[in-house]
Amino acid sequence: MNFVARFIRSPEGIAGLVLLSLLAAAALLAPVFFPGDPLAIEGRPLLRPFEHPGLPLGTDRLGRDVMAELFHGARASMIVGISAAAVAILVGALVGTLAGFGGGLIDEALMRVVEAFQIVPGFLLALAFVSVVGPSLTVVVIAIALGSWTGPARLARAEVLSIRERDFVAAARVIGMHPLEIAVKEVLPLALPPVMALTSVIVAGAVLTEAALSFLGLGDPNIVTWGSMIAEGRNVLRSAAYLSIVPGLGLVALVLGVYLFGEGLVEALARREGQG
Amino acid sequence: MSIQITRRNLIRGAAILLGTTALPSFALAAAGGRLVIASDSEPRNLNPAMVASNGVFFIASKIVEPLAELGYDGMKPLLATSWHGSDDGKTLTFKLREGVTWHDGQPFTAADVAFSAMEVWKPLQNLGRAIFVNLEAVETPDDHTAIFRFSQPTPVQLIQNALPVVTSVLPKHLYEGSDIKENPLNLAPVGTGPFKFAEHRPGQYYRLTKNDAYWNAGEPNIDELIYRVLPDRAAAANSLEAGEIGLAAFSMVPLVELDRIGQIDGLEVITKGYEALTYQLIVEINHRREHMANLKVRQAIAHAIDKQFVIDAIFLGYAAAATGPVPANAPEFYTPKVTQYDFDLDKANALLDEAGYPKDASGVRFSLDLLPAPYFSETKQFGDYLRQALIKIGIEARIVANDSAGHQKAVYTDHDFDLAIAPTVFRGDPAISTTVLVRSGLPAGVSFSNQGGYANPQADALIDKAAVTLDTDKRTALYKEFQQLVAADLPLINVADWSFTSVAATSLGNVANNPRWPVSNWSDLTVER
Repeated sequence: MNFVARFIRSPEGIAGLVLLSLLAAAALLAPVFFPGDPLAIEGRPLLRPFEHPGLPLGTDRLGRDVMAELFHGARASMIVGISAAAVAILVGALVGTLAGFGGGLIDEALMRVVEAFQIVPGFLLALAFVSVVGPSLTVVVIAIALGSWTGPARLARAEVLSIRERDFVAAARVIGMHPLEIAVKEVLPLALPPVMALTSVIVAGAVLTEAALSFLGLGDPNIVTWGSMIAEGRNVLRSAAYLSIVPGLGLVALVLGVYLFGEGLVEALARREGQG
Repeated sequence: MSIQITRRNLIRGAAILLGTTALPSFALAAAGGRLVIASDSEPRNLNPAMVASNGVFFIASKIVEPLAELGYDGMKPLLATSWHGSDDGKTLTFKLREGVTWHDGQPFTAADVAFSAMEVWKPLQNLGRAIFVNLEAVETPDDHTAIFRFSQPTPVQLIQNALPVVTSVLPKHLYEGSDIKENPLNLAPVGTGPFKFAEHRPGQYYRLTKNDAYWNAGEPNIDELIYRVLPDRAAAANSLEAGEIGLAAFSMVPLVELDRIGQIDGLEVITKGYEALTYQLIVEINHRREHMANLKVRQAIAHAIDKQFVIDAIFLGYAAAATGPVPANAPEFYTPKVTQYDFDLDKANALLDEAGYPKDASGVRFSLDLLPAPYFSETKQFGDYLRQALIKIGIEARIVANDSAGHQKAVYTDHDFDLAIAPTVFRGDPAISTTVLVRSGLPAGVSFSNQGGYANPQADALIDKAAVTLDTDKRTALYKEFQQLVAADLPLINVADWSFTSVAATSLGNVANNPRWPVSNWSDLTVER
């Protein structure tokens, strides 16, 4: 039974996959459905949802189309979540592999750096970084990755520690491969799968961190994100709660989708190991 | 000596503890003669003679009084009973009130005024530095006369308009010989006002108590004022509803909540009482940038702003469209006879075409950086609006968001902006804080001043001439000319003039009875028991 079949058998995985596909479609098709700037003023301010046929989710305090903001916000959230996770896993896996394979002083030094990052709460780190460098999409991605690369690093190191003792590594040494080449070409690919399992956790965390940063006014002000929509809506929470609820539901769906998808993946992987 | 632990001491200790924890949650109704006020900031320095700002006055003006206060029908005497200027504009004589004592019982005399003027207002105060720059000496022929001598002619009109803001009098006997900036009284002020400073618990509240020896017998009517520190604006609305606070001033209740709050029994929304505290929403322009130096571009931007939309959507109607650098509620100086910029996108686009900035294939003429000041949600929202308004005329604006310190540095020190959005304040006379927005030659780093590199010799000459014109009518005429010049040449763009709102319990009496009400001394304020 192949991996896809095993994944399909887990209900969580399917639910997550459906949610994520819908959101990904929304994000990808946002420029098709809502061409132009989602922050453009389209109508009377504070139109309620379903009040105006052209603006199904109503408008915010400046008369911007909430539906367009929601679709484009999905884009921002997914871009930030996926890029932050990619950066975190790439950097973490590299550092972990080097530490685990190098051993000795390199290992000690790198792991102390990892610990230094681990003791600071990830959100505070992101907050400090963005306030110093100034908010923009790239900075936000780096800021979130700063707080989440340590998990992959530790996991990769642990994997590498066991892999490096295997015979094929010794064989590679014997044929005269450079240690760095062995580490990156031979060991890293094998250490990567368990690290990849962290992706879902990191993506979900990154989406929430981005939303929290935007909520505090530290997001990129030139793009729309769900966090900034909630922050905007907060001012009118008592009189126009839909402005906060709509993007809030988006966030719930995305994080839930990522989480369920991750669960499905883990289950599928576990089944294979169980059978083997 | 050891401290005996007795039952009595323990009980006393417990009672004190109980008292302190119970204090911040007084209910208005149960208090009788006590008013709890929401305070969104906690000024570090409570000395209004040094820091003349509304945040400080809100609390300190009840303790330390100025020479005069503004009423709806002109200036009202307070610590000074009368004043007149000489014809040459070089002396200004104040007659001071008799029978006034400081909170520590010492008599208030002309020596206190002379000391405050020469040692505090002129050298240390943010606004006094400019207004009293030519003040040479203050003579005190007797205990109740103070004669201000100026080296250059100084218009009486200017000093008089500035009196409520810049002339808070400090007690000489408590400040003399000390380092004024570091004097502990800056945190626990002593004055002549209707209320005495009692205590400040950081993060919780300030407590002011009634001054039984206030010079105006019969006042004040309230025993105690408590300023509860409530940094969260949503919390202020909820506390008002719950009856925990009786007054939230300076728009602490968000505009969007006002409709709802106004419906609640026992609370009322008050828009009066801020006429002399007008904030101005302005677009600051960096004239060093090639595009912005072009008058047609500035005119196009002015035409692209739909002021009515800004007032309706951002200020929810609690503002007025601005025509120029002087707001309409300064009738002494205001003139509507200036160049007007109607909302007209076609005209704006035509002006930009004329200026030589055609649209490219994607409809963009040029891009610029827009820095909205982070101090008010309105300035940030206007930033979002302006970005959209500019796109419509082919100008692509990139919003750069900074925190307060970063914004100040970027705009006023580094000049790293094309357009910035600022909330400036009109303080009763254009010479106090308005002409600095246009005058050239100011050093970098001065906040809320012309840091856009605008230099117009004609404007400078006009400002300098008005500053030494003694005749009130001629001086007023010069400032009208100044408004016309600013509106025509657009060193900055005035968008809206806005003020604040208060939400007060209906049990309060004599609320909003002068145009600087929240920062006046509240000696006549009453609370129905």
